[in-house]
Amino acid sequence: MGKKKCVAMLLAGGKGSRLSSLTKSLAKPAVPFGGKYRIIDFTLSNCTNSGIDTVGVLTQYQPLVLNSYIGIGSAWDLDRKNGGVTVLPPYSESSEVKWYTGTASAIYQNLNYLKQYDPEYVLILSGDHIYKMNYELMLKYHIEKGADATISVIEVPWPEASRFGIMYTDEEMRVAEFEEKPSNPKNNLASMGIYIFNWSVLKEYLEMDDRNPESSHDFGKDIIPLMLDENKKLFAYPFNGYWKDVGTVKSLWEANMDLLDDECELNLFDHDWRIYSVNPNHHPQYISTQAEVVESLINEGCRVEGEVEKSVLFQGVLVGKNTVIRESVIMPDAVIGENVYIEKAIVPSGMTIPDGFVISASEEDDEIILITEEMIQGIYS
Amino acid sequence: MAAGQLNGGNVMKKRMLGVIDATTYHEDLEELTVHRSLAAVPFAGRYRLIDFVLSNMVNSDIESVAIFPKYQYRSLMDHLGSGKNWDLNRKRDGLFFFPSPLLDSPSKGIGSFNHFAANLDYFYRSKQEYALISNCFTVFNMDFRPVLDRHIMTGCDITVVRQDGRSLEMYLVKTSLLISLIENRNETGYTCMSDVVTDIHHSYTICNYEYTGLAVMIDSIENYFAASIGLLEPEAWKNIFLRSQPIYTKVKDEPPTRYVKGASAKNSMIANGCMIEGTVENSIISRGVKIGRGSVVKNCIIMQKSQIGENCVLDSVILDKDVKVESDARIEGRSEMPQVILKGTVQGAMMNS
Repeated sequence: MGKKKCVAMLLAGGKGSRLSSLTKSLAKPAVPFGGKYRIIDFTLSNCTNSGIDTVGVLTQYQPLVLNSYIGIGSAWDLDRKNGGVTVLPPYSESSEVKWYTGTASAIYQNLNYLKQYDPEYVLILSGDHIYKMNYELMLKYHIEKGADATISVIEVPWPEASRFGIMYTDEEMRVAEFEEKPSNPKNNLASMGIYIFNWSVLKEYLEMDDRNPESSHDFGKDIIPLMLDENKKLFAYPFNGYWKDVGTVKSLWEANMDLLDDECELNLFDHDWRIYSVNPNHHPQYISTQAEVVESLINEGCRVEGEVEKSVLFQGVLVGKNTVIRESVIMPDAVIGENVYIEKAIVPSGMTIPDGFVISASEEDDEIILITEEMIQGIYS
Repeated sequence: MAAGQLNGGNVMKKRMLGVIDATTYHEDLEELTVHRSLAAVPFAGRYRLIDFVLSNMVNSDIESVAIFPKYQYRSLMDHLGSGKNWDLNRKRDGLFFFPSPLLDSPSKGIGSFNHFAANLDYFYRSKQEYALISNCFTVFNMDFRPVLDRHIMTGCDITVVRQDGRSLEMYLVKTSLLISLIENRNETGYTCMSDVVTDIHHSYTICNYEYTGLAVMIDSIENYFAASIGLLEPEAWKNIFLRSQPIYTKVKDEPPTRYVKGASAKNSMIANGCMIEGTVENSIISRGVKIGRGSVVKNCIIMQKSQIGENCVLDSVILDKDVKVESDARIEGRSEMPQVILKGTVQGAMMNS
């Protein structure tokens, strides 16, 4: 294997429990998003657009869909002779099976993967977020600052700051203190879970962390605080732009709705920073004579005979006659019957909604409904 | 192990080579074939004409396809690439591209033996016992396996695929017979497959295979336009787009199509990456097209990446790729003879037709 300047390690083993039935049989990074993509497409596309051609993808929870989706990485131009994408599942070593117990342990167990490329820098990413970011600029910043580690940060609304890892920095952006989910945050600079480490420093700290039986083997909880304690040079890299953790049904829905907003910073139509994905082969969408389609995002393979307003339709969705779909996300290959009314809901992949089915969130309640098989059976019982 | 154990026996023998003649040039389609070969003419929003026969071959278990192009084949090569989109980027067999070395000798008919002769090695080396020779410009979704079954059952030398008695210019023969027809072309005077089957003195058993599904041979602007718009009919649609036998094409990383406030679409087929701000009716819209606010596009075929400004009216128009229509322009053709706007041109509001 040839030497690489920077290798990315993408943590994609997350369960995403708050996404409820959407992650019952697939990992969070594989959840469909934006009418055509899966969440992980954003991070993988950022890598390829940033000139990073060596990416280890660490999988653990429900990896089947994710593994077959990533394949050899050709969708993101990551099928390379030297480098490219490598899926790294947990493995057993002589007598014990080593599950990834934390973000740091996942990387620690794959030190051999990194050693092959003998990189100067290691970029740690998570496959859970929707954003466009040029990692090359962050690496440049890291080098200019002469940092041991650089953490990408974003300003979050104050009321939400207690949900994140919060950074306290000096005016040079050097990190003085880090607090994981503080109850009384004194700052609103949140860690985005994106780190660049000097390889030698990362290796040293991962080995140290592995020997500590008290550690939870997590970057935010263990590695970063330990480095700060030892006075390592940690810098915060401020990121401005669209960034969303789509960890809940509501935030997933919101991020989809953002795509329908003219003001939204996340532009899927920007050819200079394309979001790549596995392109299934579908015929063009067909919009029938009776159909109405406004303020929506619709993918190939759809057949629309009803009314679709402010909604996102993934590939292969069928919408029957006299059906109304409003402010909803319809995932791949869902079949929506006739005379159906769906408002503020997410319909999971492949689901069949029977004729006459009506569902909408109540006025006062601003929750989003994730339609389940039980709900559909419910109307017949 | 005896060598015989490595041979597949009859199962492997019942296989076909796919041979696509992409040399055809129709004068009546000139406006669409100035920059591209007929095989590469865009169709149905995201396909090229060759995708239909090529996908049909792949869906019929054909694993080795040879394409014989001539004239302007740059866009065709770009489209086909390694054959990956048709699963034809194989170590064994796969997609072969044999451009014509005979640029100045126009050959007529499908199955130009001179062109094949320059690449006889392909036929010698191939192990497939049968060869299916086809034109490149038919829009259809057909399983060729029943043709082979019939061909074997009847023991004919040549099977011609026909519709309502008319030849669809697709022929099934034994590869060995094809080789001998190519080798003996100077003695027999046969220049192509249709010469053989139309010669009343030939000594071959010729059978017909009647195909009952939808098949349109694209040979003029009028029938190109009619076949395109005709696809909006559910019956035609169901005949061409089958989930079990998909038509493959070069995929592109375009986002889903976006409809903004005030947009309207009716009875139309729209590919990905479009931005629809105006009104679209009875039309085929290809990938990456923009239709501005207040514009009305009716009975049109809009090809890839064309940009239509605001408050335009387009009726019965074929916009080739990369056309820019400036705001307030009016372009109207007739339904029996659409107006064709050439690739890459700019249409101003003052150039009303």
